[in-house]
Amino acid sequence: MKQTTRYGPPRVASSTTSTVANQTGSWKYIRPFYQDKIAPCNAACPVGIDIEAYIALIREGRWQGARELLLQENPLPAITGRVCDHPCEQACNRSQFDAAVSIHAVERVIGDMILQTPPARANSTSTHTIAVVGSGPAGLACAYHLVKLGHDVIVIEAAAEPGGMLRLGIPEFRLPRRILDQQIEWLEALGVCFRTNTELGTDIAWEDLSKFDAVFLATGAHSGRMIGIDEEDGPTFMSGLDFLKAVNVGQRPSIGREILVIGGGNTAIDCARTVLRLGADPLVVYRRTRNEMPAIEQEIREAESEGVRFQFLSAPVSVRHGESGTRGLNCIRMELGPVDASGRRRPVPVTGSEFTIASDTIIKAIGETSQLDYLPVALEREGTSLIVGGLGETNIHTVFAGGDMTEDTRSVAFALGAGKRGAIGIDRLLRPGRRQPDELAVEQLKFADGNVSMARWMSSDPVARAAPVNRVVSFDELNVNHFRHLARNEDRTTMMEENQGSFQEVNPGLTSEDAITEAGRCFNCGVCNGCELCLILCPDIAISRGTGEERFIIDMAHCKGCGICVEECPRGAMAMTREGL
Amino acid sequence: MNKVIVGNHAVSWGVKLARTEVISAYPITPQTQIVEELSDMCARGALNARFIKVESEHSAMAACIGASAAGVRTFTATSSQGLALMHELLHWAGLGRHPIVMANVNRAMGPGWNIWTDQNDSLSQRDTGWIQLYCETNQEVLDTTIQAFKLAEAVNIPVMIILDAFFLSHTSEPVDIPDQVTVDRFLAQRETSIKLDVADPHAFNALVRPDAYMEMRKDQQDWMRRAKTVYAEIETEWKALFGREYGKIEPYRTDDAELILVTSGTVTSTTRHVVDQMRERGTRVGLVKIKMFRPFPTDDIRRALSGAIKVAVLDRNISPGRSGIFAEEIRSALYNIPMDDRPKIFGYIVGLGGRDVTPAVIEDIVEQTQIATQPTREDLWVGVKP
Ligand SMILES: Cc1cc2nc3c(=O)[nH]c(=O)nc-3n(C[C@H](O)[C@H](O)[C@H](O)COP(=O)(O)OP(=O)(O)OC[C@H]3O[C@@H](n4cnc5c(N)ncnc54)[C@H](O)[C@@H]3O)c2cc1C
Repeated sequence: MKQTTRYGPPRVASSTTSTVANQTGSWKYIRPFYQDKIAPCNAACPVGIDIEAYIALIREGRWQGARELLLQENPLPAITGRVCDHPCEQACNRSQFDAAVSIHAVERVIGDMILQTPPARANSTSTHTIAVVGSGPAGLACAYHLVKLGHDVIVIEAAAEPGGMLRLGIPEFRLPRRILDQQIEWLEALGVCFRTNTELGTDIAWEDLSKFDAVFLATGAHSGRMIGIDEEDGPTFMSGLDFLKAVNVGQRPSIGREILVIGGGNTAIDCARTVLRLGADPLVVYRRTRNEMPAIEQEIREAESEGVRFQFLSAPVSVRHGESGTRGLNCIRMELGPVDASGRRRPVPVTGSEFTIASDTIIKAIGETSQLDYLPVALEREGTSLIVGGLGETNIHTVFAGGDMTEDTRSVAFALGAGKRGAIGIDRLLRPGRRQPDELAVEQLKFADGNVSMARWMSSDPVARAAPVNRVVSFDELNVNHFRHLARNEDRTTMMEENQGSFQEVNPGLTSEDAITEAGRCFNCGVCNGCELCLILCPDIAISRGTGEERFIIDMAHCKGCGICVEECPRGAMAMTREGL
Repeated sequence: MNKVIVGNHAVSWGVKLARTEVISAYPITPQTQIVEELSDMCARGALNARFIKVESEHSAMAACIGASAAGVRTFTATSSQGLALMHELLHWAGLGRHPIVMANVNRAMGPGWNIWTDQNDSLSQRDTGWIQLYCETNQEVLDTTIQAFKLAEAVNIPVMIILDAFFLSHTSEPVDIPDQVTVDRFLAQRETSIKLDVADPHAFNALVRPDAYMEMRKDQQDWMRRAKTVYAEIETEWKALFGREYGKIEPYRTDDAELILVTSGTVTSTTRHVVDQMRERGTRVGLVKIKMFRPFPTDDIRRALSGAIKVAVLDRNISPGRSGIFAEEIRSALYNIPMDDRPKIFGYIVGLGGRDVTPAVIEDIVEQTQIATQPTREDLWVGVKP
């Protein structure tokens, strides 16, 4: 068969010289540049962890670097990985795409790894000694950071062992004592000294602290609130915190079968779950609805799945004495009225709606207040909380404070964040001139409007160390077309049947492989991670790989300012500016 | 293998048998089935092609141009507004001499949003440097699709295969699907010396100054002209292998015809039927179907029409402010032939926006043309309501 004629090549514009001669860069009036911003997780973290950065290192399997970054800001990752209510995940942009990155689970894996190897002892470089009173998370964090900053620290603790609420409040099945003990040993190895069984106000006097160069107060809030009904000091009643403390130190108080737990916070839920494990039957009585419960959502869910029952919109009125001596609680139904100061709708009693619930023991878990009797009256306070400034400073020059005893959100993470602020405040006080003490610098230490960064404080120039734009990147600023949907590595919880009667940890955590895949889900919001999309998509091939700090170099002679790189950047880490600005 | 398939799938089959390597397209009614079927074939592994999803027809054509510049066989399909959106890149493909094959399903332009057939979409792209082939049946659609690749790659000019919305695109007809082995004998893998090659870097389509631009244009024009010869050769080859041919134009019962009707697309089939019936009644009427619109087969048209007394051109299109586009082209093709051979050209505008062109409509046209002594100044609009 005859093959159709093949003719010569067409006459087309083809050149063997490069197009570099065509300086398309001269056309532009706006130019792109790389500009890191703040990931929402970082700004939301009450501890002030550079979450985005350490997650990026884990994804690359660079565990050592990730540890260092994490430890720079958070002394207790094995603990926060377990009990923090992770506001970072609420803020996570990925939650608007599929599901938030399971940051707490990743943190827990790396936290447990950290505990495997004791730290090198910190170098003491200062001549100052600081007393930290209270060894809850606030005290531990402050002591940790001060030791790392080169100071000598003594932690004074009333209880027999350090840990505060981590030991006395939070139950074993959520935070195994083994982990806490390892964590304390780890801190001791670093150089933190503990003086336990020493209560300020009893074993030592306030005046005894004057020999220290500075004091950080972190004694928490341990006094149970009163409900305000008759006989509540009677034998039927028990304070939730006392109950938990007793169980946490190994006692098994006899409480009977039918137990009422009054309250809706972490203490209430932990009490109910503990009651369940002692083989009794808990009923949580709360005056608002499930939506208003201040306890951590995941805890509530776990409690529900374990079989804890709830009686919402009900408040105790009086104790009931039956004919045969049976006891119970008279309650009244509530309904939600207008929003109150706490931002929640205030419960108001419904007249004539009284009813009775039978009970053997009534556990009061309606919140705790601080005991400040042992402190000098000169220390300024508001109600039962100490008043502190942005770096934990009180009205007494050398006295700082943080955690539950101040007007702050009551959580482990907030306490850790307060401890860090206190440490920076004390470092600034004791070594003036070493760092800029002005307010501006303090603002620059923060992740956007979040907590301060120790990395920035440690750097010789915290202002330069701050992200160029100290602003959180919103979901809208990302280009999620470049991301695939990936299932979140959810926490696994051991079956309820296995939990019953056991104080074994409910959540076994992720494997390190899972942690790497989970870290791989991170968008790295606002931070260039070298994905090279800008380089690949630049129509003028004007972007090339850089060296060292500068990941990419834009060849301005050829960049014509089209903005494709900025538009396509998946994480909002680029921006445009006018030429000549 | 015989199969009953819609015209859209006839295109898909052609593209598959041509072993197309890159397909990029954006869906639009009534074309969508073409690329749907192709993406399915790619997903199933029946066709080893890269299917590039894009966000617009403009990008679809851009992707095809890129792939074609890399030296591979490429295809896309579109319709109406989608084709209009490609306009800039149609020029780029044409003058860049990228032998892309595209199926355009003729659909009326909006507004007056309309998904039915007429030819204004493809005819608006007349001057972009694309070969245009209008098809009449699903079999012709399939055959032309395969031929189009061979034609495009021989002359380095992109080819647009055109089929009527719904009358072909969504109508099932029995189609003989050629076997792959024979198609492979007809159509080899694409070969080109001019392509993107990292080992031999070139920059294509950069700045061309006035001292060279006209030569590029002239080269394009020369190859457009040669495409007519090449197409005839390709048809000869095709006929030897598959026994079918269509021609750049197809004269039908024109030998002693006093009146010749000129059509394109599916109106041709209806007209064929009307011609047969009128012939039975003794009317000396014939038909010329125009398949190739660009390059315009001037010589074939002259041969087929000179000698007739009257020619009635049925235009399913309108160049607003002028006339039906086929009529206009034919008038101009016949102007320079000897006065005595020149038939009178009557133009009729029919079937816009998918309106039916029934045998009765065509019979009317024949009668009106017979009665009239001179064509009217402007083309007559058939069946337009007052
Ligand atoms: C039952 C329960 C469950 C909780 N669950 C969670 C949770 O899951 N996640 C979460 O984020 N938060 C949780 N919280 C809150 C969290 O534990 C606290 O907000 C946090 O521990 C406060 O830290 P802190 O350092 O300020 O005080 P604390 O942890 O209360 O530590 C204060 C320490 O000071 C010591 N001390 C007190 N007075 C003196 C004195 N005069 N002299 C010397 N030492 C003294 C105490 O013995 C104690 O060790 C829970 C709290 C409770 C009660």
